[in-house]
Amino acid sequence: MTATANLATRLEGILGAHRVVAAEAELREYAIDGMVPGAIVHPASAQEAAEIVRFAITEKLAIVATGSRSKLDLGMPPARYDIALDMTGLHEIAHFDPGDLTLSVDAGMPLRHLANVLSEKGQFLPLAVPCYETSTVAGALASGIDSTLRKQYGTARDFLIGAEFVDGQGAPCKSGGRVVKNVTGYDLHKLLVGSLGTLAVITRLNFRTFTLPQARGGHLACFSNLEGASSYCDAIEKCGLPLANLETLSPEMVALTAAALRETNAEFAGHLDPAKWCVCASFEGSEAVVPRIARDLQKLASETAAADSEILDAASDAHLGSVSREAFDWLRWASPSAALFRIVLPQSKPGDLAALLCVAQESSLRSALLVRAAAIIYFVLLAETEDESALHTLENAAAGVFFLAGAGQGHATLLHAPLKLKSRVNVWGPKRADLGMMQRVKHSFDPQSIFAPGRFVGGI
Amino acid sequence: MGTPQNIPGAVPVYEDFARCVHCGLCLNNCPTYRLWHLEGDSPRGRIRQMILVGNGELPLSEGFVGHIDKCLDCRACETACPSGVEYGKLVEHARARIENEYQRPLFTRFARNIVFKRLLPYPSRIAFAARLLRFYQRSGLQSLARATGILKLLGLAEREKLLPRIDDHFFFGELGKTFPAQGTRRARVAFFAGCIANVTFTKLNEATIRILTANGCEVVVPSEQFCCGALAAHAGVRETARQLARKNIAAFAGGQFDAILTNAAGCGSTLKEYDHLFSANEPEHAAAVVFSKNMRDVTEFLATLGLVATLKETRLRVTYQDSCHLLHGQKVREAPRQLLRAIPGIEFVELPYSDICCGSAGVYNVTQTEAALDLLKEKMDYAKATRAATIVTANPGCLLQLRAGAEIHKTGQNVVHVVELLDSALKQQVIP
Amino acid sequence: MPASLLRELNSLLGSSNVLHKNEDLVLYEYDGSVEKARPDLVVFPHTTEDVSRIVKLAAKYNVPVVGRGSGTGLSGGALARGGGILIVFARMNRILELDLENARAVVQPGVVNLDITRAVEHAGLYFAPDPSSQKSCTIGGNVAENAGGPHTLAYGVTVNHVTALELVLPDGEIVRVGSKHGDTPGYDLCGLFVGSEGTLALVTEITVKLTRKAEAVKTLLAIFDAVDDASNTVAEITARGITPAACEMVDGWTLCAIEDYIHAGFPRDSAAILLIEVEGLREAVEAQAAAVEDVCRTHHAREVRIAKDDCERDLLWKGRKNAFGALGRLAPSSYVLDGVIPRSKLPQALQQISQIGKKYGFSIGNIFHAGDGNLHPIVLYDPRDPRQFENAIAASHEILSYCVELGGALTGEHGVGMEKNELMPLLFSDADFDLMRRVHDACNPDSSLNPGKIFPLSKGCGEIRVRKQAETLPAHV
Repeated sequence: MTATANLATRLEGILGAHRVVAAEAELREYAIDGMVPGAIVHPASAQEAAEIVRFAITEKLAIVATGSRSKLDLGMPPARYDIALDMTGLHEIAHFDPGDLTLSVDAGMPLRHLANVLSEKGQFLPLAVPCYETSTVAGALASGIDSTLRKQYGTARDFLIGAEFVDGQGAPCKSGGRVVKNVTGYDLHKLLVGSLGTLAVITRLNFRTFTLPQARGGHLACFSNLEGASSYCDAIEKCGLPLANLETLSPEMVALTAAALRETNAEFAGHLDPAKWCVCASFEGSEAVVPRIARDLQKLASETAAADSEILDAASDAHLGSVSREAFDWLRWASPSAALFRIVLPQSKPGDLAALLCVAQESSLRSALLVRAAAIIYFVLLAETEDESALHTLENAAAGVFFLAGAGQGHATLLHAPLKLKSRVNVWGPKRADLGMMQRVKHSFDPQSIFAPGRFVGGI
Repeated sequence: MGTPQNIPGAVPVYEDFARCVHCGLCLNNCPTYRLWHLEGDSPRGRIRQMILVGNGELPLSEGFVGHIDKCLDCRACETACPSGVEYGKLVEHARARIENEYQRPLFTRFARNIVFKRLLPYPSRIAFAARLLRFYQRSGLQSLARATGILKLLGLAEREKLLPRIDDHFFFGELGKTFPAQGTRRARVAFFAGCIANVTFTKLNEATIRILTANGCEVVVPSEQFCCGALAAHAGVRETARQLARKNIAAFAGGQFDAILTNAAGCGSTLKEYDHLFSANEPEHAAAVVFSKNMRDVTEFLATLGLVATLKETRLRVTYQDSCHLLHGQKVREAPRQLLRAIPGIEFVELPYSDICCGSAGVYNVTQTEAALDLLKEKMDYAKATRAATIVTANPGCLLQLRAGAEIHKTGQNVVHVVELLDSALKQQVIP
Repeated sequence: MPASLLRELNSLLGSSNVLHKNEDLVLYEYDGSVEKARPDLVVFPHTTEDVSRIVKLAAKYNVPVVGRGSGTGLSGGALARGGGILIVFARMNRILELDLENARAVVQPGVVNLDITRAVEHAGLYFAPDPSSQKSCTIGGNVAENAGGPHTLAYGVTVNHVTALELVLPDGEIVRVGSKHGDTPGYDLCGLFVGSEGTLALVTEITVKLTRKAEAVKTLLAIFDAVDDASNTVAEITARGITPAACEMVDGWTLCAIEDYIHAGFPRDSAAILLIEVEGLREAVEAQAAAVEDVCRTHHAREVRIAKDDCERDLLWKGRKNAFGALGRLAPSSYVLDGVIPRSKLPQALQQISQIGKKYGFSIGNIFHAGDGNLHPIVLYDPRDPRQFENAIAASHEILSYCVELGGALTGEHGVGMEKNELMPLLFSDADFDLMRRVHDACNPDSSLNPGKIFPLSKGCGEIRVRKQAETLPAHV
């Protein structure tokens, strides 16, 4: 307690009392898997952030940069956690050139506010991530969490064009720039995507922005079994229809989604049949393109013997989309002990998906499955208690999931799980061949390992 | 080292070399680079060597000669070049320098002398040699040689397959004749019959005349014509090429022709460039320009003129191998394809990498047999994959090479000239 | 170079895969740029293990190693600036796996860019990055330089199409990063290695994404009487959120040279043209083409032509693709730059370029990827005059400095290499370099791999290195 108080006092000495918080209640708000920091600092500029980093280096303290703290349970809890560097005080738009479709924005800018500013010029940033209403731009980027628009717009690495950050030596650095095409120097900013704050403290990010589409639409098709849903998805891929998102939901996931929908739009929730596999497509484009895609999907659905299918209007699609976008959030709390996996497998084949469901069945666990953007599988195992036997069951099932992912030339990570489970399984999956290279990268950015030590792959 | 001024005719100047900005866009178009992936055997590397040798920074060594010899002179690099480097000119100049300044081994010198200086320029000697060869092919000697394995022993087995089959009657007899147009005369053209073609491609030449006359052309075959000199020019035996050019220019002068035609793309590209053999201040230059301007490949001419003769339906899957000297040397790509598509019933499939040389390249398949056969193998693999029954091309040399390829690699494909396919589709066969 | 190194390489690879004679080495001292540097040895590996062993030998003898594909680079990236062993990947050119179902290809680095497309086009797929050298350049080189091309406006550059790499580090260690299906947990190492210009590792195997061909395509040619009108058209197309597959600009002076060369029916009296291509679903293409045409007309396009068929489309592209060559006819040599500017600043950038040209007495052509602000000014000069060469370099530095001033970058797709490394301080601070250097050293601690690239060698900004005369040509001609 004295050490903490002492830490707070010394931090106050650097940035002033109004920038430092050490009250017990507030510290708990910044807890990561139960770990509480010694102090919270609210820098108001990149320089202030750099000063704190330099202080931490001298004092050998560990820093976790935070935004809205909506996804702090990703990865492992940090091995050490002295300072929570709350970046929400950096929230300006440094440059927004609508004519160039480029944007330079401070790390702590909330996505919602940013979207409002961009939409005034008819533009947006395709980072549709869970906890959207609170997430900050740098938090969304560093979490590496999937955007539901990734099928059409790619992942953050595809539209991040530059970054400014404080490295592990306390130096403000940058890479990339503010132009859409650039190969000058190493693309260090790409490393920040999904790095969970283990490389640097992001202070500013440069993006290319996109124009809001003229029109949007959605389509829903239900199938009595997984094979039907799969052959429908295959048919869509083969004809190359440009979709913003394509999601396949297992019956259990349909039920969970319907429940989540019911909170805001009970009427539409009735469209989802929890006895079926559902495939939801979202698409956008010109006034002429949207109905064309809807027509094509309707035709493909009937050709692949869908039990039921309907074209959704823009409002229904948006509604369903926003609930689905938040799946990561609500799946975490869907049962007393939930283990949520993110799995990448080649051509998510029906056999692979069935095998995953089988793992749950064998362990007598409830499970739900969602294939996002026709590429990423979200798979949740739901235990109904928090006791040791539930943990044990989850642990065994997790081993099965990791095995299946590896056997299928893919990989899995455990996005969320009870802390006790996280300490027993490797949430990042089996050791990877490129771990050594990642350690080298980590060391060059953060030689003293002060940034979120232990949260990342291989204990980085 | 002697000075290049010893080389007669037009000599490349600074700008001709400087135009190569060593961007490397030619590399993968070059058959020899594709085989060996050596810069020295790429167009860019060869030009750099010419520059360095010209500057005296590199000796005119065996290495240099080897790289220049290995060039097919297919000029695919010219098609690929965004800077418009006239590589053909440069390599012929380099070869002329080698011819002047480099001592080849005795046997090679002897053979080159015989072929380029003592055989090709003389129709009577070609006829004589052809009769000897025909005797070999018909008397049973060939079968004997093949059966006994003596060819294999001498390392000639593959090479022997590349030899042309000598015709039963020669085309020499047609020189000096005029063939009237069928129906209304739409054009008056002169036909360039070639040299070796007279003894090995008589039927092709006859077919050419038939298809031309059937489409309203009056065809004159001037009598005093000789070998075009392409092989000599490509080999750097420049004075021989110039002599032949003088004779041919004279033979075709004053005939009031709408065009001079050839069915041999290799000859055509040299004939179209007769003006390059003479420098601008030489007296022959002006006449050479006139001659070259009037020169057309038969496919190019027919495609422009338009076919009027009715063609019967021919149900056949065919593919087309570009003749380098038509595509790259003369930049004629669409004409032969257009003519093929004009035949009703033809199913035309593109041959992947049809713009890459088959390895024939004049006498290349004889002088660089191994490389020629490697190129041929790849070519036949692609040809086989097209599942075409017939491979069509536009130059006698390519015909021979591809026919040998079909035999060696057992693809079971027929190989014909565009003109032959058109001719066989003619409704009424006209006897010239 | 120790004779024993040559002996060891010969026994490792066979003498047909090792070049050591001066007459061979001089053919590897150039690439597509104006730079020059001669290696001491050239080797042709066939397998990853070959590469690893070569690198180990090099380490044993303490000589540098540089990778090279076809040598079409435009910044000297594949030149052995510190001498040593040049590893030419041209014979490592096998396509190892085509997984059409998952739209992936696994290839060796020596595979030529366009050959990937040729191998998969029958299935309606292609490899999207299309540098203009795509007929010759290798995928290994594309990865090293993070190559772009006209159609990367909509589809992204090489890094957006690479999911996994096999690498050989300078100590011979073989490492795999990324994974076939992407989204690997951990740092985006592919994102780091792609575009690292061969200074971190040698790439020995690449997994690329294949793209599905669009349903429809339309190509428009818009002709303008004022450069500003064309520039403003580009700005407005961007601002309206139309993302064409390609948006290329050619200035009127350059266009005349092209027309003289290819006779495609381009106007001889225009100030600039735009070549714009839209792709996608039929309905989208119709709508976008109409919108593009509307923007062009709003900005006083004299004429907008739409290619009726593939033949017309090819003819329009032929003009664009032969532009460099056409300019080459106007002067003995040319120097192509690669600056990037924010797209809205096109008009002022073009004005400044023309003024810099006037100042140094050069004609400068402009043929470039207008849609993403990637300029390619071409300085025409005569290399026989050493002063002209120096001035060409000086003019290029002024142009690039101006690009940076406008908020742009030094290179959009050609790379820094040994051409622009001394200009890097225009963009990066000491702290930036320190971090980049630490990342460099983490992989390549002794700078034994491709030394003298990317990082400035001299202190201070924009110091002009005195280059060797770029061209030597026969004295007698």
